[in-house]
Amino acid sequence: MTTAAAIGVDPEVVDMMDAVFAEYRETHPPAARVERDAELWRSLDELGLVRLTGTESSGGSGAGWYEAAELLAATVRHGVRIPLAEHDLLACWLLDSIGLRVDDAVRTVCVLDDRGVATAVPWAAYADRIVVVWQAGSGYQAADVGVGAVAITAGTNTIGEPRDTVTADPTTLPGTAVPGALIGQLQLKSALVRSIQVCAALDRVLELSVEHATARTQFGRPLARFQAVQNLIADIAAEAALARAATEASLSAAVTSEWSASNLEFLVAVARSCAGHAASVVVRNAHQVHGAIGTTREHRLHEFTRPALAWRSEFGSVQHWDEQVTGAAVEAGAAGLWSLITN
Amino acid sequence: MALPRLLPPAAVDHSTTQTLRAEVRAFLAEQLAAGTFTPSVDAWLAGWDEDFTAALAARGWLGMTVPVAYGGHGRSFLERFVVTEELLAAGPPVAAHWIADRQIVPSLLKYGTELQKTEFLPRIARGECFFGIGMSEPDSGSDLASVRTKGVRVDGGWSLSGTKVWTSGAHHAHAFIVLARTAPLDPAHRHAGLSQFIVDLRGPGVDIRPIVSMNGAHHFNEVILDDVFVPDTMVFGEIGEGWLQVTSELSFERSGPERFLSTFPLLATTVERMASQRISRDSGLGRLVARIAGLHQMSTAVAGALERHEPADVPAAVVKLVGTTTEGDIADFADLRAGDDANSAFAELVSIAADQRPGFTLRGGTNEVLRGVIARGLGMR
Repeated sequence: MTTAAAIGVDPEVVDMMDAVFAEYRETHPPAARVERDAELWRSLDELGLVRLTGTESSGGSGAGWYEAAELLAATVRHGVRIPLAEHDLLACWLLDSIGLRVDDAVRTVCVLDDRGVATAVPWAAYADRIVVVWQAGSGYQAADVGVGAVAITAGTNTIGEPRDTVTADPTTLPGTAVPGALIGQLQLKSALVRSIQVCAALDRVLELSVEHATARTQFGRPLARFQAVQNLIADIAAEAALARAATEASLSAAVTSEWSASNLEFLVAVARSCAGHAASVVVRNAHQVHGAIGTTREHRLHEFTRPALAWRSEFGSVQHWDEQVTGAAVEAGAAGLWSLITN
Repeated sequence: MALPRLLPPAAVDHSTTQTLRAEVRAFLAEQLAAGTFTPSVDAWLAGWDEDFTAALAARGWLGMTVPVAYGGHGRSFLERFVVTEELLAAGPPVAAHWIADRQIVPSLLKYGTELQKTEFLPRIARGECFFGIGMSEPDSGSDLASVRTKGVRVDGGWSLSGTKVWTSGAHHAHAFIVLARTAPLDPAHRHAGLSQFIVDLRGPGVDIRPIVSMNGAHHFNEVILDDVFVPDTMVFGEIGEGWLQVTSELSFERSGPERFLSTFPLLATTVERMASQRISRDSGLGRLVARIAGLHQMSTAVAGALERHEPADVPAAVVKLVGTTTEGDIADFADLRAGDDANSAFAELVSIAADQRPGFTLRGGTNEVLRGVIARGLGMR
């Protein structure tokens, strides 16, 4: 696989993840509306993959973000939708960080606005509990509540994944103080999760494009022999590589600084900008290479192209992240631009 | 199906080079404050200033990877990478030594004889010997194996005849390395029978004629070789191995920071103009800054792979393809925002960038050739 063990993750672990999701996908074709498969969740839990980054003392597997990134990539490669990132990397991490107990419940997290509403909350309709965060005065509070304590209006993103509206009255919830820095981290982690997923999808699109161009014959030769087709695929590969470079650089900076690097916001914005624009070229060129069959439900291409487009727009549009980079650059000015990029 | 990773793992520890970066940055800030140079675009091709080159040599930033025994500094390839990045980002005139330092040094270290290394390396490191490249010909651009410059065996050496083009700086430089055919073309083995020679640009039989660029600037030259004698001691590498020698070093040339930073001084000026609201806020600028940041990360990863002696020809092609395209996109972004202020420093940078832009995606392997290299790396050719 294209993404094999980027940053020191045991290839055997990656192979195991691949095997699990490949087997699952064999018997579970994609559904128009995605639900959380409780049986898959249980088997992942038995393998220690559900609470991958939790401490072992709290029932987790004690792994880190590099392993988690490989796990997310493996789900994407096989077109399996399951809220591992929302549960482990976002909700349970936040609970653990503010000293609340993490148990076996399936969780997601949301930040309420000043009307007590959070929109596009991933997987809320299929969670047991929700870590609800809200602003209180100059700081933030959070509560770990059962889904019965909030109102959930189900919705989906363009690929049918649950993206729900959560409404709650924070005055009725038992709040625990959340340091402001953790809210910033939550936003960066959420954004980076989608960047990791987009990169994995783009790499799979590249593989499918090479496979198709090699197998499909027209005018008496494989498509891969036409320079025009080679050029389309070379640009797919180049854009996917740039997106990966930017995403891995921000992941690596996050891990080595324990999410405290002063330029982390910039690096994540760079990753989201590069991955977002890469998706434009990759999706367009891949469809051009695949021809009409690539636009059908029957062909697997859409399992990777449509998610890439859906995910690049979550936790901030591509334009939003471009604007973040613009703002950082303008603030740095001509004299500070190069150190902004290299520090 | 398993595709190769087109991005080497980011295993580079930046903390080891931060001090060096700071040193170069401080030096450049001093020079800028003293008015020694004005930041320009494409200064690694267009900015010939032997005094500035001498100042860099005095700091030990030329011939960095050359062993101390040959007058160099015994630094790592990554350290050289950091210095060149810093130089290109600031845009001082570095063209005089660029080819010698980037291309001739690694080639000499790999293929040079003891005499050649002793003769040239110390002078390159001191900033006293400048080189050009003698590859392209009037009828051989992308298809380099078709070169017709001929080397004929004569008493004590070789006689070269033919015409080389696009030799930047030949009118200032001391020598260039010429790729010539030393055995008749065998259509079944087009890459065989090619050899390289170190040729004195000021020797008899060498005629240097300017190729003036469309904006009137003179960087490129046509070099006509008429029965030029090259002694055996200046045969470069092995006779008949020219193709291998030329192609084995391409990753160094293709993945370097000059493939994405040629217009960085213009990007910085554009940022400044947006900050001072002389051009309107536009997130298209952020897209370009993000791409340059991603390219910095990708190019650093390739430098790490080269330092570890891993093959990196396909990743290097990716850096050059995306990098040179982005350099041009920066030129165009700025040009679209340039108005009637024809005499401003911004307008001058924009104008040079727009004129240099076509060259970005041509020199050192066109983007069309690079896409072919990538396609081959993906198993499609």
